[in-house]
Amino acid sequence: MPDETITYEGLVPGYKFPPATYELNASFVSKYLEAVDGAGNGFVPPIAITACAIATMTRSVPLPPGTIAIHASQDVEFLKLVPVGATIKCHIGVAQKIARGKMSMLVLELEVFDKAKEKVQSGKATVALPA
Amino acid sequence: MLAEIQEGKTLNPVVKHVTQEKINLYAEASGDFNPIHVDESFAAKTPFGGTIAHGMLSLAYVSEMMTLAFGRSWQAGGKLRAKFKDSARPGDTLTVTGKINCIERKDDVSYANCAYECRNQKGEVIVLGEALVRLSSIEK
Repeated sequence: MPDETITYEGLVPGYKFPPATYELNASFVSKYLEAVDGAGNGFVPPIAITACAIATMTRSVPLPPGTIAIHASQDVEFLKLVPVGATIKCHIGVAQKIARGKMSMLVLELEVFDKAKEKVQSGKATVALPA
Repeated sequence: MLAEIQEGKTLNPVVKHVTQEKINLYAEASGDFNPIHVDESFAAKTPFGGTIAHGMLSLAYVSEMMTLAFGRSWQAGGKLRAKFKDSARPGDTLTVTGKINCIERKDDVSYANCAYECRNQKGEVIVLGEALVRLSSIEK
């Protein structure tokens, strides 16, 4: 899924990462709920869906070896209930790239769609990276 | 769910204990294996001095508090804004608290505007932000 050809310098506003597809089956939901000490209600916890989108992002952003990216802020809107067993597709794009001293702030837009191509979530994540 | 939705109402807090085992499980579930979360020798050499929990793990606790208060209205009509102020670490106990700041009405729809924060056992803020819930779809 990660675009092996993109470099950090290539992450400019307007860049779109290749979309990632997830099957949110019972095993995924069960593992997620165990990790967060949560209880299920037949639907995928919406923040679990956001977590998939964020994981897509962290796997996709190329970083120099030994450096780390810090998740600085997150906005997200939950638009639709997603049943366990659904398949979703995460789209991530670069909205802004801001240099701040020794750090860069990368603002990423995320959109998540279900199999019927209806939007289930949208949001923005800001990630701090070494410049 | 909340019996009464009114301005100033405090939401029931959520308290969670963070362990490295939970962080590892979260990495497996989410697919986010950033070494700062799961590789103790790598993390020890960073300015953090050790592993830290995924920011989204703390947000899962915030979302749980909102789900307990607003049910499906939160899960399909919630809007979350979060600033990660500090990192949660293995051994931390996190407490998420929140309250309804105001009820807003836009285009004949009511929204509960909530403020929340997540602090560790030392009282340090880990995450803070706002959550907006569309109230008209609350299930009775």
